Amino acid sequence: MTVASRFFWPGVPGQRNHPGSALMIGVTRAIAASIRRSVVAVALAGTVVGGCASGDTGAAEVWDPLETPNRFIFSINRAVDIIAFRPLAVMYRDLVPDRAQTGVRNLLDNLGEPVTAINEVFQGDPNRAATTMARFLVNSTIGVAGIFDVASSFGLERTKEDFGKTIGLWAGVEPENGGFYLMLPAYGPSNARDATGLMMDYLVDPFRILTFNLAIDWDVWQIGRYGLNAVDYRSRTIFALDDLEKNSVDYYAALRSAYTQSRADQIREKREKTNARAELERRDNLALVR
Amino acid sequence: MPKLASRRVALQLAAIAAIFSAMPVAGPAVAADPAQIVQSTAQQVIEIVKTKTGADRQAAILGVLKTNFDMQAMGRSALGTHWNQATESERTRFLEAVATAEAKAYSERFGQYGGQTLTIGKVTPRANGVTIVESRLNQTTGQPIKLEWEVRNDRISDVKVEGVSMVMTRRSDFNSYIQNNGGKVEPLVRELEARAAR
Repeated sequence: MTVASRFFWPGVPGQRNHPGSALMIGVTRAIAASIRRSVVAVALAGTVVGGCASGDTGAAEVWDPLETPNRFIFSINRAVDIIAFRPLAVMYRDLVPDRAQTGVRNLLDNLGEPVTAINEVFQGDPNRAATTMARFLVNSTIGVAGIFDVASSFGLERTKEDFGKTIGLWAGVEPENGGFYLMLPAYGPSNARDATGLMMDYLVDPFRILTFNLAIDWDVWQIGRYGLNAVDYRSRTIFALDDLEKNSVDYYAALRSAYTQSRADQIREKREKTNARAELERRDNLALVR
Repeated sequence: MPKLASRRVALQLAAIAAIFSAMPVAGPAVAADPAQIVQSTAQQVIEIVKTKTGADRQAAILGVLKTNFDMQAMGRSALGTHWNQATESERTRFLEAVATAEAKAYSERFGQYGGQTLTIGKVTPRANGVTIVESRLNQTTGQPIKLEWEVRNDRISDVKVEGVSMVMTRRSDFNSYIQNNGGKVEPLVRELEARAAR
């Protein structure tokens, strides 16, 4: 068994016999393999072109072959953000009552719960997926369509998973390595791994499929939901992003690094149950580089 | 048998004696508790935020940065490979400007004291002399913030906020700026000095 295949079959009983999840894990596996391949290609190209990349653990510099178009999209995103989006988020944060904001947050989180549960199955944690679905059922009914997070007071803690994290969990590479960095229009920082994950989450989302199949005003509901999600998310990142922008000499590069590290940390937390030592060893190497 | 046993005892005694005789030499170098260093740093900063504002606060925070943090090592790793090609005066100016910029950033970042407390978690010493201290910054409202401190030689050499390392972010930031400005350290130092003076 190679190192890579150990990552895919961490010895979860029952996982392997499940035909449905085996198919999906196959898909995850294919994506992970392609990311690994690209990573190897990059490593090779890096050694050939850069020549002096040895000794660096790769955590410091993010692979960004599309830097020029990325920076272009980033500047457009920022212009839109400054003119429209940030002011909207500030108004939302300061004018909407806190309780209403919490309600909106809970409602949106509840709509995202099925996607989290699906991801938890793919992450090899069906028990956690069951808890998430229990949360979804409790909050959708007793919690009035998810406006009140009753499940948390029952001791069912909330988790938030996405397919980018799922790929990162199984891909046998450092979580800092998510393939090439990508600045998505309107959405913001991402990379090959997380953008793929975003697409997968969109595809498997039962609410999207439901509104689409029932042919009720699909776009109105979905755009409303994503729009609200975006405003809510932006309102909670105002402080951190303002701070990062003010205290950096190259905001694009600082954001690229912060995004990569923050995602890697989330993925590492997922991996940590099985692989805490590898992280500590990686840090030792980092300290040596310094 | 008794002969062997007594030999073992003699050896043990010799070993203990060796340890004890070596101790006074190692005494001054014995490291303080890393968790203690983190806790006292946090306490000092909270005290400053509570009692001081404006320029006073910035000066006090600069003091804490210079005594409790290994600014030399942090600045050096933030500059990465460019450290070697920088001149001695550039390095000094760079470190000074970074310290001022960080002090300014921190004194503005905290605003008013909002009842935050720091809870120290797991402490992991590593073979290479770095100790990682995990902690949580508890807020009065909302989720606690995950903070991880890297302590080396009794000084803090990095802080990670929710997994984002201060030094690594600066390193990316500075490297990119240097690359886009002719590959020289000088423009970066000037920019930082201009920001510090603002």
